Amino acid sequence: MTVLFESQFFTSYQAEKGRYFIFDFNHKMIKLSFCQLLAFRQKVKEIDLEKHFTGENEHGMEILLLCNREHMFIFNTLEVIDLKQFVKGTFAMLELNSLVY
Amino acid sequence: MKDLVRQKLSIHVEIMDLLNEQIKKEAHSSSIYLAMASWCDHNALDYSAEFFYEQSLEEREHMMKIFRFINDNGGTAYSPEVSTINHEYNSLEEIFETALDQEIKITKSIHNIVFQCRKLQDLTTENFLQWFVHEQMEEEQTIRRALELFDLMGSEGLALKLLDERIPHIRKK
Repeated sequence: MTVLFESQFFTSYQAEKGRYFIFDFNHKMIKLSFCQLLAFRQKVKEIDLEKHFTGENEHGMEILLLCNREHMFIFNTLEVIDLKQFVKGTFAMLELNSLVY
Repeated sequence: MKDLVRQKLSIHVEIMDLLNEQIKKEAHSSSIYLAMASWCDHNALDYSAEFFYEQSLEEREHMMKIFRFINDNGGTAYSPEVSTINHEYNSLEEIFETALDQEIKITKSIHNIVFQCRKLQDLTTENFLQWFVHEQMEEEQTIRRALELFDLMGSEGLALKLLDERIPHIRKK
């Protein structure tokens, strides 16, 4: 596996064989197809971080269901901030790879 | 490291986001025109109502064209939510003015995606969007012709009825 990006809490990898990606959430690793990766990116993009600071999201938690509800994750505010960076970083690395490939 | 993204996706991922935004805009446009058709129907402006029913359908077709393009090229198209549709208008002239503003907004949005395609060197999407650039030019021309009728004929009493009857002819054949 090749490391794509590492943030404070999470790490993404691209599999050497097969066409899939691995996300390491520290306590759990999940395998994602490209389509699932796009869906994950969209879900993270849709999280409104502002609501964590205006009181609209009272508990400061986000629940994400991934890979057609195969996995469920609960993230706190710090993890969500990191998750947004993590997704941006992963896609930036993938784009960089496209440019040099 | 092999380029998995390129293997799966023929368009740039940021352009895919913009196209998904465009889907929302086209769906919103379609609903706005449907509300306008309803207003015209309630005000006995049958020809204008028919015009806006057709416009609504066209916008949905535009939306579907983009939707299929994203999915056909390996991306993920998202079904749009539509809200805040205005159903209150003061006159038919106001409706056509609003329709022109709406078309101009859509044109600007399409042009913006074309500019981004050039910046990110996504020739596939740029080529696909050329049809929309041309289509938007025609859409603006059509609505503009309707507004010219108001300048020519006025919008009170019988003039409004006669103007309504000329609406089916404003589309370029």
